Amino acid sequence: MTRTQARALRPHRALTGGLILALALGWAAMARADVPESVQKHILPGYAAFSAATQELAEKAADDCSPAALQPAFHAAFDAWIAVAHLRLGPVEEDGRALAIAFWPDPKGAGARTLARLIADADPVATDPAAFADVSVAGRGLTTLERLLHDPALTGGYACTLTRAVAADLARMAAEVDIGWQGGFAELMLTAGQPGNTRYLTTAEARQALFTQLITGLNFTADQRLGRPLGTFDRPRPERAEARLSGRSLRNVALSLAALESLAVTLHPDSPATIAAFAKARALATALADPVLAGVATPGGRLKVEILQQAIQAVRAAAEAEIGPRLGVSLGFNAADGD
Amino acid sequence: MTKRLIAPLYTATALGLLAPLPAFAAEPAAVVTTYADIAAAKYADSLTTAKALQAAVDALIATSSAETLEAAKTAWLAARVPYQQSEVFRFGNAIVDDWEGKVNAWPLDEGLIDYVDASYGGPTEENEFAALNVIATPTFTLSGVAVDATTITPDLISGTLQEADGIESNVASGYHAVEFLLWGQDLNGTGPGAGARPFTDYATGDTCTGGNCDRRAAYLKAATDLLVADLEYMAAQWAEGGEARAAVTTDPAAGLQAMLTGMGSLSYGEQAGERMKLGLMLNDPEEEHDCFSDNTHNSHYYDGLGVQNVYLGSYTRPDGSVVSGPSLSDLVAEKDPALDAALKAELEATMAALAALKAAADGGFAYDQMLASGNAEGEALIMAAVNGLVTQTASIERAVTALGLNGIAFEGSDSLDNPEAVFQ
Repeated sequence: MTRTQARALRPHRALTGGLILALALGWAAMARADVPESVQKHILPGYAAFSAATQELAEKAADDCSPAALQPAFHAAFDAWIAVAHLRLGPVEEDGRALAIAFWPDPKGAGARTLARLIADADPVATDPAAFADVSVAGRGLTTLERLLHDPALTGGYACTLTRAVAADLARMAAEVDIGWQGGFAELMLTAGQPGNTRYLTTAEARQALFTQLITGLNFTADQRLGRPLGTFDRPRPERAEARLSGRSLRNVALSLAALESLAVTLHPDSPATIAAFAKARALATALADPVLAGVATPGGRLKVEILQQAIQAVRAAAEAEIGPRLGVSLGFNAADGD
Repeated sequence: MTKRLIAPLYTATALGLLAPLPAFAAEPAAVVTTYADIAAAKYADSLTTAKALQAAVDALIATSSAETLEAAKTAWLAARVPYQQSEVFRFGNAIVDDWEGKVNAWPLDEGLIDYVDASYGGPTEENEFAALNVIATPTFTLSGVAVDATTITPDLISGTLQEADGIESNVASGYHAVEFLLWGQDLNGTGPGAGARPFTDYATGDTCTGGNCDRRAAYLKAATDLLVADLEYMAAQWAEGGEARAAVTTDPAAGLQAMLTGMGSLSYGEQAGERMKLGLMLNDPEEEHDCFSDNTHNSHYYDGLGVQNVYLGSYTRPDGSVVSGPSLSDLVAEKDPALDAALKAELEATMAALAALKAAADGGFAYDQMLASGNAEGEALIMAAVNGLVTQTASIERAVTALGLNGIAFEGSDSLDNPEAVFQ
């Protein structure tokens, strides 16, 4: 991305800030626990921060594409993504954005394959933002950027061009998701049950949608972020840890727990058992001191990761027993229902 | 009430049935019995068509020719029609979910089984055995254990090779392993054309191509026999006295929940997400469900049809006869007629979208071509079906609420694997 293109993204940020203010004023009267609280205090600020962090990253990449210069902004953007990554509804589900923003897990190695092909061909798609938006989700987003910034084999002019393209594409998607929420989806959630709202026919449907994100997010962290590297006792799979290359596997676990707790307490603040279970799981994650979960390959290290996994499963059980019934909802269908 | 009674009458007449109209409102017990009857019929039909495939495979092995290979492929395609309609039973029924991987696991690293093109590559970071080629390798070491594969048997496939080294993509059994052995790799990428395995891969003597024709034939025979045995097991689970039937009929509320769980999980997470949208977003022809045979359009179509016929309580068998009875639709209509009408219309819209996709593929626009990057027409066909499936999922969720089944936590396959985690 050129410097001019980076500037062109800036108005989005201004727009975003203005909308937040306008919406916050408009909805102030409705602010209370439950769906409005989650939307205003968890979802909208989360997406605004993610959009800001990715635009910062894109601007920095336009200035200097070297890994050393970009890694801090990359980590800030990844942190901001984990704060909202569990939300699999609304604008992030359109045009495959959630898949493209962070394509993981990737059991067939599509990310490495797609990146290798782009580099081998020095594919000019990297110089055309509109065309780049159509590249396979496996060759875009944070996971691709992670490879470009942390694999020493990937250097040179084309890698730099690609780094800029991926960063700009990421900022574009983040801005679209942010604007999509502010420009309509937040209102759909907040007007659940009102005449004309065909997406959420009752307030219970909006509650169920968010409750489902909470439980699905807990499952994802326990089953995928920890479960994939755990593998089986006989065949641990440390190489399958998320964001291992950038050393953020455990960090993503800890941040996802913080994010999910934020969702839980905005949705239903009076949830002592759930909050206690979160505190326990987060303390275990903090104490783990195993950044890429490499310990799964040793009996002692594995036990610690398993204990953390069980603690996250206990959060899920607590939330299902405590928050679900009090909101009057059960788990809905979700994207993780498949294989 | 009148409207509700007219609809089944119309359907029954249209299908040429003499089934009596229910004199009373549908009872949950009767609805779950219809569900079990439909499952029994679908698995029985899957078994019958798999036995026809078995006979065709025997004929191919006895005399390999273009005709016998073509006949085996035709039998495989026919066998997929009832089986895909049964997939809606997978989620929500632990007995099916635990077993399903034996018969329909996908995607597979086919190099485990037989020769592959150089472009396939060798072992991968994720799978050391991705290019093992059992057919060419009578003895090898698997996770430190010496394996004697000089005789290829169903037991070797199910006990040793399936999910070898704990890796899911080491798919050694089921429809897709057989599909690979009949069609071979589809090397056309997102261009036209399916796998083109020559019949001489099953020839004897000097005319054998691909090497080890006898071992390939033995593998195909063993995998087909295993498929038949696995389907026999599942057909028995749903027959009178079967365990899967008992699980849904003993407690009709649990049975209704299984029905809706199956419909919603297949519609959304599995079909719309994992099988259709993901492949489109990856532009990857390997993300095609039936990738060797280019039969993915039918696979998706009959999956969707399975969801619809569970809701309507009516399944049309390969011979044209119909298994039907009191339906979920009847129950929902009684509680919330508008919801029932909406869901029926949405299921119909999804089937129209899937039919359009199927028609395009039958007309020569293969599913893998639709996945190509920048193919707007293909994307539109696939996304229309995805959107239909996503839309109907919201109404399926509403049906759960309408029938008062909200009190019990449920979701997809994960909770089935860890029931105690859900009910703690």
